Amino acid sequence: MRTPILSACALAATLVASLPAAAQQQQTPPLPTGEGRDVVAQACTLCHALNTVLQLRQGADGWRSIVDYMVLHGAQLTRPQADQAVEYLATNFGPGVNVPQPRTQVTLPDGTGKDLVAVNCVICHGLDRIAAARRTPSDWQSVLARMQFLGAPVSNNDKNTIAAYLDANFGAK
Amino acid sequence: MKDLIKQYLDQGISRRSLISGLSAAGVSAVAAKAMAQSLAPFASPAKAAEAQGAMRPVTGRGGDLYVQQLKSAGVEYVFFNPSTGDAPIFDAMVDEPSIHLIKGVQEGAVTAMADGYARLSGKPGVVIVANVGLPNAMTQMVNTFKDRIPMLVTVAAFGQEQLGEEGPQDYDFQEYSLSPITKWRWTALTAAGIPETTRRALKFATTPPCGPVFIAIPDNELRTEATAMIMDQSLFTVSMKIRPDQDDIKKAARMLIEARNPLLTVGDEITLCNGEKEVMELAELLGLPVAGQAEFGTWSKPFPTRSSLYLGPMLRNMQYPGSIDVHLNIGSRYAEVATKGAKLISMRQDPTSLARVTPVDLAMVADVKLGTADLVAAIKSMAPVDRLRRIAADRKERTAAYTRQVGALRQGIAKSLHNGSPIHLERLAFELESELEKDTIFVTDCDSGKSMDPLMSFGGDDKTYISTGPNILGWGVAAGFGAKLARPDQPVVTILGDGSMMFGGPQPLWSMSRYQAPVTVIVFNNKSYNNERNRIWTFSGGEQFKLGRDMTCYNGNPDVDFAKAAVAFGVEGETVSDPDKIKGALARAKRANIDGRPYLLDVDIQRDGIGAGSTYYPEYSIADQRTRKV
Repeated sequence: MRTPILSACALAATLVASLPAAAQQQQTPPLPTGEGRDVVAQACTLCHALNTVLQLRQGADGWRSIVDYMVLHGAQLTRPQADQAVEYLATNFGPGVNVPQPRTQVTLPDGTGKDLVAVNCVICHGLDRIAAARRTPSDWQSVLARMQFLGAPVSNNDKNTIAAYLDANFGAK
Repeated sequence: MKDLIKQYLDQGISRRSLISGLSAAGVSAVAAKAMAQSLAPFASPAKAAEAQGAMRPVTGRGGDLYVQQLKSAGVEYVFFNPSTGDAPIFDAMVDEPSIHLIKGVQEGAVTAMADGYARLSGKPGVVIVANVGLPNAMTQMVNTFKDRIPMLVTVAAFGQEQLGEEGPQDYDFQEYSLSPITKWRWTALTAAGIPETTRRALKFATTPPCGPVFIAIPDNELRTEATAMIMDQSLFTVSMKIRPDQDDIKKAARMLIEARNPLLTVGDEITLCNGEKEVMELAELLGLPVAGQAEFGTWSKPFPTRSSLYLGPMLRNMQYPGSIDVHLNIGSRYAEVATKGAKLISMRQDPTSLARVTPVDLAMVADVKLGTADLVAAIKSMAPVDRLRRIAADRKERTAAYTRQVGALRQGIAKSLHNGSPIHLERLAFELESELEKDTIFVTDCDSGKSMDPLMSFGGDDKTYISTGPNILGWGVAAGFGAKLARPDQPVVTILGDGSMMFGGPQPLWSMSRYQAPVTVIVFNNKSYNNERNRIWTFSGGEQFKLGRDMTCYNGNPDVDFAKAAVAFGVEGETVSDPDKIKGALARAKRANIDGRPYLLDVDIQRDGIGAGSTYYPEYSIADQRTRKV
């Protein structure tokens, strides 16, 4: 168990030490134009490439949590710049905006809650993410609560329906 | 032969008589000359030094000679975990009250205890571990080596008659395995040579740039009786308080006075040289904005983080102060980076890493405290007071405006997370900043927890911060113990994540309990290698990220109850899940510490960042694989 974390620490140290170079080497898709683009481009790429970030789809609260996290880890942003970055990200990489294609197509089994999943989950990611892991009921609850926070437009009632559906069809044994 | 050497050292016989006498005793002419040569430095001053008590002949077993040499080096504590072979060393301590034995129950913990002690005391940590357990110690020795901390690690090796026979616990070329992480390593080949080897090892360990050294003493030599001179370690102490070339100082002063938009970066060598005051004076004199080292690679806070000149970690292209024209780096290995359009001046204690990677326009090797004082003096001598005030005033104002803005943003973020449950790290930081005494030593073995750093105040008149540059986990609790040993009159709080606690946390609790170390241990328990997951997902964007499957970093199931684990080791503990109850828990910890007892808080912390909601891990049940219920 010790070896992996040591390796990972070393990896992290290496990454931190050479991030801009690494960031430049990775091919980052172009950022859409818009107010806040330059702030995102400058502040984020000092430490990491953008291609991961650009695959995320989140609402304003979700993006704010990420931007805040980065500020506390050293990103040089003022409050107006942070606000601008959140608005830009939520606008250009929010739910329903140019959602990345799934790696594989997944057909949902029939059942109560199927339509809620089909409508709400795909506004941010493919259904392959759902089918990728068998999760316990508490894990599905935790993930769904997180999704609500990140911007999934789901009521608590719908959340419970979705959780039951996911547990029935993608639950851990 | 012993008598001959003694007579020579006591100036009873000449060098020629010594060589002829050794030859008569069967020593080859070459060896006799070599012995005479090696003894020569001690022959002449021996009487005077001996008269002053700085040298004394001692007859005893190798273990006695080793302990007496440690005593002459002023060693107060030996951190150990015993083996059969090193028993003569501990026999020698039975009637040696000036050296205290501090036992740890795993070699990594022993080493990290000594490391924490060394960082806070400025003295070398002295470690004795079983040779077969040495690899456990080596993990933590990486922290010690990379951060240039003085340490002597000793093992009782197998007897020379058994070496190379591949005994059950013996492995060949042991000392070479330490080559990458020690400054020096040696095997004491004779009992009489043990004191000299020990002195030399301590000299290497404590001469800056410091670091761990290793000596192996074959157990037969520890048992063998011999006579040797025990010498005061101060006779082998080399001052490295070197001032930089004064022409270079003038050049640097001129560049800084004329700089349009300079930046000062600071590093751990300032802490090692006790140069905080001088660096602060320099920053104030010219109104220099100051950046620290990034999260990895730093182990101290050499500049007050509360200062309006302190920007936070060094980034490659800093939005503030923007395009710099002069970058002065003092004492930082990793902030020594090239910036487009800027001249780089680097003043370093360690010549091996100075200009190792980055081209440096003006490189200076110096004790950075003295070098900075020289720089301040040169600047003052080269520009009138009024000019310096004008230069500083504008920069100070601009930098203060920026740091106020950033500080407000960070505090605003923390406030927005105040009431979350599980508890946010930012709330924990708020409570710690509010409740801890200003003279607290804050020992942190955190990865995720580094996001608390910018919400708290360290350096200057504020809390003392110690960590490790390499961030090799499993160090924190043990190092907290060592810190308290070094500074018993200051509060010590050690904080670490659940990942680190499981690496190396429980064992040092045993030592804390046995030696009544009043330390507050805080485990922020987010059941995850949280930062690791964030880095893996953010930096690589691989399959785990794409499919939302955290293959490696979730630590829950089982959810470890660290408060209960602490009780098993004789340390009181409690779990804190309600953010409003942190304050009360800290008060109870403080009360226990005042009463002389350690205390552990297991704080239920929220995971954050990408993939924070997932509790997925790849399951596997060995029980399910059985064909027989056995």
